[in-house]
Amino acid sequence: MSIMTNNASDATGDTVPPGEPTPDATYRAGDPVQEKKMRRRHRWGQFDFKYSPYLYVSPFFILFALVGLFPLIYTFVVSINDWDLLGGAGEWVGLDNYVAEISSPLFWNSLFNTFSIFLLSAIPQLLVATFIAAILDQNIRAKTFWRMSVLIPYVVTPVAVTLIFSSAFDEKYGLINNLLQTINIDPVAWKSEVIPSHLAIATMVNWRWTGYNALILLAAMQAVPRELHESAAIDGAGSLRRFFAITLPSIRPTMIFVVITATIGGLQIFTEPKLFNPSSSVPGGPEREYQTTVLYLWDLAFNRGDFGRASAVAWMLFLIIILIGLINFFLSGSIASSSEGGSRKNRRQQRRAHKHAVQMAQSKIASNRMSGSNVTAGEKGGESHE
Amino acid sequence: MKTSSKTKLAQSVALLGTLALLATGCSNADDAAKADPASADNPVTLTVTTFGAMGLDDLYEKYEKENPGVTIEATNIDTGGNALVDWKTKQASGAGLPDIQAVEEGWLGQVMAVSDSFSDLRDYGIEDLKSQWVDWKVEQATDKDGRIIGYGTDIGPEGICFNSKLLEKAGMPSERSEFAEFIGGQDSTWEDYFAAGKKYEEKTGKAWFDQSGFVWNAMVNQLDEGYYKKDGSLNIDGNAELSNRWKMLADATEAGLSSGQTQWDWGKGQAFLDGSFATMPCPGWMLGNVKGQVEGAGGDATSGWDFAGVFPGGPANWGGTFLTIPTTSKNPVEAAKLATWLTNAQSQAAAFEAAGTFPSNLEAQSSEQVLGSNELTKFFNDAPIGQLLAERAEGVKAQFKGADDSVIQEQVFGPATIALDGGKDGQAAWDEAMSTMKNLDIK
Repeated sequence: MSIMTNNASDATGDTVPPGEPTPDATYRAGDPVQEKKMRRRHRWGQFDFKYSPYLYVSPFFILFALVGLFPLIYTFVVSINDWDLLGGAGEWVGLDNYVAEISSPLFWNSLFNTFSIFLLSAIPQLLVATFIAAILDQNIRAKTFWRMSVLIPYVVTPVAVTLIFSSAFDEKYGLINNLLQTINIDPVAWKSEVIPSHLAIATMVNWRWTGYNALILLAAMQAVPRELHESAAIDGAGSLRRFFAITLPSIRPTMIFVVITATIGGLQIFTEPKLFNPSSSVPGGPEREYQTTVLYLWDLAFNRGDFGRASAVAWMLFLIIILIGLINFFLSGSIASSSEGGSRKNRRQQRRAHKHAVQMAQSKIASNRMSGSNVTAGEKGGESHE
Repeated sequence: MKTSSKTKLAQSVALLGTLALLATGCSNADDAAKADPASADNPVTLTVTTFGAMGLDDLYEKYEKENPGVTIEATNIDTGGNALVDWKTKQASGAGLPDIQAVEEGWLGQVMAVSDSFSDLRDYGIEDLKSQWVDWKVEQATDKDGRIIGYGTDIGPEGICFNSKLLEKAGMPSERSEFAEFIGGQDSTWEDYFAAGKKYEEKTGKAWFDQSGFVWNAMVNQLDEGYYKKDGSLNIDGNAELSNRWKMLADATEAGLSSGQTQWDWGKGQAFLDGSFATMPCPGWMLGNVKGQVEGAGGDATSGWDFAGVFPGGPANWGGTFLTIPTTSKNPVEAAKLATWLTNAQSQAAAFEAAGTFPSNLEAQSSEQVLGSNELTKFFNDAPIGQLLAERAEGVKAQFKGADDSVIQEQVFGPATIALDGGKDGQAAWDEAMSTMKNLDIK
């Protein structure tokens, strides 16, 4: 902290605390050595001010270059070579590895599995998370308890979650099939059929991430000005109407953030399918029913020893994620401009309209001689909007 | 104050420098330790990576006691498949390999491709010990340049595990020698074994063996040449013997002889207790697994499991392990000492006692521990396991394992045998296996 303040005063060296002699006076009276010293100090201060921020943020970028950028480039180099896991680099083959993978049915199978599991998990997850967040946003008893409770699944490591669910979804001896059989439903082949296995894995993902997303959405909901809800309520909007007309539009940016992180995480899913059936000799199910792309490239690299093709898959997955990230980005941009107002002018207008609405609501409240607590609530809302 | 960022910069440069020195210094500093033998004053830590049930755990403690200054850090990986991935990962990155690495017979194709990354054990006196092992075990561990890279631990002569109580209940021969005759005696063929299974299935409606995967592995492993010819070329397409055996197995599963269990899982051992199946192929090392599965599911010796010294189709060997010393070991002399000790007659006999891993060490094979009774024999209805396995080991020959042998076994025929168990037609499953081979680019 002290360094920071020092920097600031150095940089704005002209401003001197009141009560001290002005710099002019000092220079006139002082000797040239002192003056030189001052100037050097001034120059150093400027340098410090200009460049130290970069120094402070540099550790991240140095680390990123080491553990992010270098592997990325190295993987690309591996992917254009015929590279054996144990034997090391072979011949330069150009894009042959990419061509081989694009024509491999196993690669496309893994992509299908990845997207299927992603959709089966992301969509229900967001719906349920929004619902939970809306419930938690109500005035309920023991708020903190409920909020912390939905986070518990997130605290448990995915490996433990997978072990428990893997046992529950066991085909012959699992809890779920036993329950199904007691109510005379045929057991489901959770580990050897495509859609049931995707459902089972999506369940694990949902179990882990729903609460986490609910809390993020809850935080966004809490930032929605209460007076909006109040004025809408006074205008006769029911809670459902308020949810769709006020809450949902207001949390859109957060919703988009949640969608993007869920996409990135969903496309890189590995632990759950890897450990879902650990005794399977083929990772991702005997017929690769739930072999996701990351699992596929792991199998390619470490079981089959083809590092070159595995690296090609890694790069293609990287490009797919970037592509989807870009689509998300543009989508979110257009959504944001339609709801929040992209330009500054728009936002200013909105804010003015909002303030106006608040004033109207307050006067309405006053004229209706509502209870005192409501008035203070309104004032509070107004303050927080300054 | 104003110099603070300058000092910071200097500090971070110094720190980076130190880290770099540390990183490069590591490899040099340890060379010094190599010269002196381990003692209380010169402590040495040896890392050992094994898999499955190898029965070495108690031996580590004993060795540490007898050799002050030696600390053994042992890692045991649950299955051979996982251990293979672990070894490959570390081999590829060139870091993290232990001082002693257990290597399975099925990996030999891949191991031999990089055999120069394992220490030549002739430098540590293995020539003088060669005669202590069955000859083919040493042959397997010898690379094309004549370097010997592994100390032999166990071999996997196969017999049949069977549940005497289930057979008795079905009114069929349940006594060990009667059962052996029932499935064809010493000249048992796969036809005999499956015919007996069909009789059992007709009477009880229950399966004969746990799943097709292990049966198929045995059928392939006992052939002169398996998935590869001796010259290293692929030997699957157009191999009449192989496809005949596949048809036989498909016929058996169609008749309901397979219980379709999950390999290495068996419903967490439940299937060994609830009468799901009555027999299974058992290499020596499998006996420890069976006992563990039964006990894990809450059963004990009264569950009725027994071991018969017969095997359909002639003598068969499945698996077996070597202890190797990767050249990355910082203490190869101490590691060789430990590995030699772990594979000597006494240790191998003790390992057999603990896990039923049948020794490749000839003296251990005829030791009292191997031939006498122990916890395993008690579990298996007092079967003379050691004696039976010694008989089953006669006539076993080592099969050449090719580069992709384990990928073929696990990823090509693994799913295909599961498909058979799931009711798929034999020809369709075979065709699918061939297309999987193509997709996996196995040449």
